[in-house]
Amino acid sequence: MASTLIIESLRQQIASCEVQLRDLQRQLAEAEHSHQQQLQERKHQSAQTGTDPLAYDFTHGIHDDFKSEVYAALLHTEDVQPPPNRWPLEKNEYRRYGRQLIVPVIGLQGQLLLKGASVLIVGVGGLGCPAAAYLVGAGVGTVGLVDGDTVEESNLHRQILHSTSRVGMTKVESAMVALHSLNPNVKLIPHHGRLSPETAISTVQSYDLVLDCTDTPASRYLISDTCVLLGKPLVSSSALRIDGQLMVLNNPPLPPGNTAGGPCYRCVFPKPPPPDSVLTCGDGGILGPVVGVMGVLQALEAIKVLTRFTGASTNGAASSDSPSLLIFSAYSNPMFRAMRLRARKPKCAACSAQATVTLEALSSGSLDYVQFCGTVAPVDALSANERISVENYAKIRLEANPFTGSEPSKDSHILVDVREKVQFDICSLEGSVNIPFSIVERTPGFSLKSSGNIDGSGEETDWVSELRKHSDKPVFVLCRRGNDSQITVKRMKELGLDNGGQRWIGDIKGGLQAWRISIDADFPEY
Amino acid sequence: MASTKVPAGHFSILYFAAASTFTTKPNEHLPAPLEARNLFAQLEERYPGITEKVLNSCAVTVNLEYVDVDGEEAEHLDLVIKEGDEVAIIPPVSSG
Repeated sequence: MASTLIIESLRQQIASCEVQLRDLQRQLAEAEHSHQQQLQERKHQSAQTGTDPLAYDFTHGIHDDFKSEVYAALLHTEDVQPPPNRWPLEKNEYRRYGRQLIVPVIGLQGQLLLKGASVLIVGVGGLGCPAAAYLVGAGVGTVGLVDGDTVEESNLHRQILHSTSRVGMTKVESAMVALHSLNPNVKLIPHHGRLSPETAISTVQSYDLVLDCTDTPASRYLISDTCVLLGKPLVSSSALRIDGQLMVLNNPPLPPGNTAGGPCYRCVFPKPPPPDSVLTCGDGGILGPVVGVMGVLQALEAIKVLTRFTGASTNGAASSDSPSLLIFSAYSNPMFRAMRLRARKPKCAACSAQATVTLEALSSGSLDYVQFCGTVAPVDALSANERISVENYAKIRLEANPFTGSEPSKDSHILVDVREKVQFDICSLEGSVNIPFSIVERTPGFSLKSSGNIDGSGEETDWVSELRKHSDKPVFVLCRRGNDSQITVKRMKELGLDNGGQRWIGDIKGGLQAWRISIDADFPEY
Repeated sequence: MASTKVPAGHFSILYFAAASTFTTKPNEHLPAPLEARNLFAQLEERYPGITEKVLNSCAVTVNLEYVDVDGEEAEHLDLVIKEGDEVAIIPPVSSG
């Protein structure tokens, strides 16, 4: 087992080195090509300069005193270059950025602003990848990348800078390979590790603008507070399933207490969501183009903020100045809604005159963002005799029908899978019945004998009465990782389904994840 | 989303993200007029538990405009949601 892991890891490393090697070779070829071009141009120039004026000088003779000087100058023609600052951009930059240079809202001045700008992208995942690609493509001078994760296979459907051969590499390194090959003119600065209260100030300080491409409530408040305290505009975006949100915050980035400054994240969402309601992309799911759209829009807003002193004033597009919350709902009509936001909240904890969030508090670590947003303690709702290991449950399944394996569990017990239906439909254990946890959660807590359901929707009670019918069979509850199943067991007992302790109801520890690891390696991992 | 016409005497309410998950619908129509201060109570009656699980951390808009209706001193408690208005419940989405 260990040796196959090593082999696999070595293969991956070789693959990723090969990618880097190919990238370097490409860069070398490009560098050689442009060097060759420069030589050609110089030769051409010196050939031209060699024809008339100097030849003319020679025919009229040169005073002996100046001869040596002239000869020295002539010898140096190879090195004489056009004045370095004749054009504000490099020759290749005019070509590379030509298509956006001729857009009136950018122009040369906008391009120079982008070139002189530095942007910090926090999180190089579903949002950060497309955002970084477009900002680097557009020629932002310096781009910093913050992330503490490594590339996983389940990232690749949406995190477009990473690649199959770079699975296992840190996201920051992987993104740098892709971004450097996209545009070697841009200076990339890696920041390995997650942003924390200890590192936030020093990391953000040197940048002009920040993109929040992270995935937790705690990091959203931390980044917003840091941007308010350091006076940086912030482009914040998020996405889950088929929805996205986008806001340009702290814009203009005036000091806390100045009501003319733009609102911050706390002005819009003063209270974090309850931690058990927060879904990650891993649990809730995410459609690639949805998060892609949001990341691309972040890059667009960043470009608008960085170049706002140019074209925007000439074409009267001033509406972008008032802060808004853009909502994207991929399956709705219309897909986009722009909600007008208020100015800074008069009592905002971060950006008002009464702010309690200060540089000292932040850098001393006295602001506990994780505590502020709350944490989900690992579910530990049941006692040991209400739980069973996957190994022991596997025995029960086999003992029920040791020979055929067909319908092994149906007669002896009931196996309830509480994953949502969409997940149950992907893969499930044979003989299991699906009672989605969302339905369990919404089942009103009526007492044993209550027959009248409150809102009359039959769906919720169906599963309860169905389980009540077979009151002699033990119930095993299972979910993806073993948390929802515990809560469901508790709920079932509250509903009296255990007949006052006569029927065994319990959860299968570690859920289908444990089942795959210990019992059936072929069971799909998604 | 709320492309259907709002019936007389109603306003439309849009549920985004976690609000949509909790109510199991993207939108619906509720009786108007309604004082903004009673919005959360009205929703709690329909969807027990929604205040604590969803509404407390939400942004609320009326006709695409952010309104502050949460808490004793909230700015827009006296606002009246009228027939035909569009209210949106917008929970923070944090993942990416």
